Amino acid sequence: MEVARTSQDRSQAADAAKGGVSQEIKTHFRVCRFIIETGVKLGMRSMPVSTACALYHKFFKTASLEVYEPYLVAMSSIYLAGKVEEQHLRTRDIINVCHRFFRPGTEPMELDGKFWELRDSVVQCELLILRQLNFQVAFEHPHKYLLHYLVSVRNLVNRHAWARAPIAETAWALLKDCYHGSICVRHPPQHLALAVLYLAVQSYGLEMPSGELEWWQALCDDISGKEIEDIMSELLKLYDMEAKCM
Amino acid sequence: MDRDLLRQSLSYHGESLLSLMTCEQNENPDFTAIASDLAKGVCERKVADANSSTIVEQFISRKADLLFAPLWKTAEPVEHQWQEESCEPYAIMPPLEQFMDVPFEERRDIFFRDVERGDVIIGRINSIRDFGFFITLICTYGEIERDIEDLELTALCPIRDVPSNGNHDDPLSYYQVGDLIRAGLKDVDRYHGKLTISLHPSSVTSSLSSLKLGVTSREDLPIHYCRGDRVVRDSSETYERVLESTLGFSNPSNVDVLLAKLGVSETQCCSMMRGLQSKHFQEEDFAANIRKTQSASWALKCVKAGVDHFKSGRHVEAMNEYNKALEIDTNNVEALVARGALYATKGSLVKAISDFEIALESSPTHRNAKKYLCQTLVERGGQLEEEEKLVSAEGLYKKALALDEHFQDANEAFKKLQMRIQKSLKLKEEEAAAKELEKNKDVETSAEKLRKILKEEKRMKRKRKRSSSSSSTSSSSSSSSSSSSSSARRKSKKKKQKRRRSSHSEKKRHRRTSSSRRGRLSDEEGREKEGDDDDEEEWYPAPANTTSSFMNLKHPVSGIFEDDFPQAKAKRSLSLGSSSTVDVLDDSRGRFEDDPFESGPTEPAKVREPRRDRPSGSKSKDGDLNGREQGPSGDHGRPEAGPSSRRDPARSGPEGPGHRKYSSSSAASSEYARKSDRQSREFPAPVHVDVLCRHDRSEKSEKRERMRSEDNGQEDLSQNGRRSSEGGPKKDLPSNLQSIFSQIAQFEKEKSVKHKK
Repeated sequence: MEVARTSQDRSQAADAAKGGVSQEIKTHFRVCRFIIETGVKLGMRSMPVSTACALYHKFFKTASLEVYEPYLVAMSSIYLAGKVEEQHLRTRDIINVCHRFFRPGTEPMELDGKFWELRDSVVQCELLILRQLNFQVAFEHPHKYLLHYLVSVRNLVNRHAWARAPIAETAWALLKDCYHGSICVRHPPQHLALAVLYLAVQSYGLEMPSGELEWWQALCDDISGKEIEDIMSELLKLYDMEAKCM
Repeated sequence: MDRDLLRQSLSYHGESLLSLMTCEQNENPDFTAIASDLAKGVCERKVADANSSTIVEQFISRKADLLFAPLWKTAEPVEHQWQEESCEPYAIMPPLEQFMDVPFEERRDIFFRDVERGDVIIGRINSIRDFGFFITLICTYGEIERDIEDLELTALCPIRDVPSNGNHDDPLSYYQVGDLIRAGLKDVDRYHGKLTISLHPSSVTSSLSSLKLGVTSREDLPIHYCRGDRVVRDSSETYERVLESTLGFSNPSNVDVLLAKLGVSETQCCSMMRGLQSKHFQEEDFAANIRKTQSASWALKCVKAGVDHFKSGRHVEAMNEYNKALEIDTNNVEALVARGALYATKGSLVKAISDFEIALESSPTHRNAKKYLCQTLVERGGQLEEEEKLVSAEGLYKKALALDEHFQDANEAFKKLQMRIQKSLKLKEEEAAAKELEKNKDVETSAEKLRKILKEEKRMKRKRKRSSSSSSTSSSSSSSSSSSSSSARRKSKKKKQKRRRSSHSEKKRHRRTSSSRRGRLSDEEGREKEGDDDDEEEWYPAPANTTSSFMNLKHPVSGIFEDDFPQAKAKRSLSLGSSSTVDVLDDSRGRFEDDPFESGPTEPAKVREPRRDRPSGSKSKDGDLNGREQGPSGDHGRPEAGPSSRRDPARSGPEGPGHRKYSSSSAASSEYARKSDRQSREFPAPVHVDVLCRHDRSEKSEKRERMRSEDNGQEDLSQNGRRSSEGGPKKDLPSNLQSIFSQIAQFEKEKSVKHKK
């Protein structure tokens, strides 16, 4: 895994020479993509994956990329997130999937000394993350806000219009995509939820009744149109970053 | 692309989106195909919120192929039965309109737009007429949640839609002004704003059909209405505050509940990121699949280690490895086949067969599994044949032939068995008489039996006194009767030799002659059983030599254990054949001239004991024990000889089941050789010929004992009871063994007493 990473680092260095988004953000984007992909392969639900990304972002808010190996932190974050969100994962599965991520198409690892060393380092790193975050590993995610908003909005619109447009799926996907970057830990969960819902509703051009307050103002009273816009543009940047990083 | 959805979006955002989209999606063939068609219907944008819409439009245009993909909607929202929510799995919020302060007119319009027949509403009766009653709507129930109380909508419930209760002539007399009524919407007149309701359950949609219609109470009003009521009264309440104050919002599983409610699938990865589309994920990268292949290779490693153990004879370790492999990867074919082979080697044919069958189930073309299963089935068939379970044996042969019709052994065994069955049918008439006799015997009471035993014993003892050499005659006759068994002849020769040597002890010799005779007899029986299934005849013959027949018939317990020993001796010599070890045997016999009977056979046995014990599954400690026991017996000579020889059968007793596998269908030496040859071919490790043969013999005697004790169970019991009181010296042995030993001792004593007379 070391080898795979150093080669990636080299390509990152080449990217940095061309300028553009800072190297660090790109690395984080790649590692988060790695977390999300691994989560899919591990059959994780959305909440644990989001927690893993949030753990990762929180960790590197205070720690330096120079000192800590981001992919190891990511693996431990996945492991820890599984515990936090009550979807327990086995280290063997995590290591297997990650091993294949770095060496696509290879045979699974032998369960020998090397495997156990890797497992030890994952577990050790988990403790490191816990200490670094002062054992505050429970996050308030935007997911449940979004889902409640979705139910309320569904009651507001015509049921056939709702059935036609995949608002819920789109908003859910957008919310999960937020975790590629650090916007997921920089904004309050309500704002994030509202921004992705707004984007989804707007994307499909759903007509909403309007009163003294817009529907999104009613849902969250301390958000302004500007803030929604900011989050949306940050999300858009993340989508742009995908083309640059991957 | 979902054209309708795209059109909806374009008509919402207007011209600017279309131009952006044409620019961004020009490489998307789906879009270019419909672009011109879309351009027609697009008018100027409706919304004026220019700032945020540019971002939105950018997003839409870039992700249009994903947003409007026809299969984007992942899961159908589940049409679950509406249930009256006594508990709140998620926060049930008042209608959003209440927080938005949507104007009266608009609310009325969208209510009439969205409400449909089949919905459930709740209202209060405001007047009752003779053609029905009118209600003022308070709230909606179920599918849509709207704030309609202040709209002052009225609905008519015609009298024909009020179910009659039977007691009342007029169904309407049951209702009063002010009652809360839950009813289904029967008809909506959107133009005139007229609603008709019904109290018949058939008027509501199927998902709500379990709901009870009619008069309801204040407590049964839906939660969203009650919460909304509070918001109306206290204007400081905001959506967020209500949300966070509810219990359902802090329910940790509300995410799962709501995802199911909204029909969002968690298992499918949905993302707007192009790299995270499900098509980029390969099945073999998923954790479960990697684990599977990893476990399989790990299990294979264990199997390999197990096979190595097996080859060097460490069968217990091999079994452990195989079991570990199967624990890691259940139904690992290689592990199952290897374990089956080991079971077969150990004699657990039934277990072996089941292992092979499971292996073949998951991989029906596995060559070794098939081959081994065939062989094991034939082997087991032979075993069953010996146990007189001819039909099941036939079934097994058929099974083997079904697997591999060219399998020689199965063919032969099958033909043989069929011949045997035919023969047995022929013999049935002759047998009938014998069976009749047997039946009578069965009816005999135990007391009669006991009397008979005593009588026979007496007779036997009398005979014994008279003829001590009768055994030699019987043995020669028996060996001549056996068709071409050179092994039997060799064995009997040896015994005769031995007998000659040990002539100096009358008591000793006596014991041995009788036992050796029995041993030979049992062999002979075993052999003849193969050719002739008429086992009854064997057990109840009417030969000239009545002594031997009585010995066999009436003293099964003592007889068996006694002949076990000489038999083992015979086996050893047989197994070694013409090899030099025969000389060793003779040598040792020469050395221990003073006690030829005991030390002769035990000396070489000591050498080979470990090998003999290993395959039987019993720990090598057994062998050590024997060695230790037998060692002193040779040194001390005769005083020890009795007990030690008695212990011998006790040892071979428990080993019995392990050897069962080797009970082949034929006792001829050529058969053994062939079998062992095959054995070494079919299983990874070679199996020693002599081991095989030995097992075969002891197995046979074992089986005979079983059958006899079944026949004479009653007798044995009575004998045991009588003699166990005399069995003093062996306190540390199990009680049943003790009683057997005491019987032997008693028998011995009696014999010697007779001789001294």
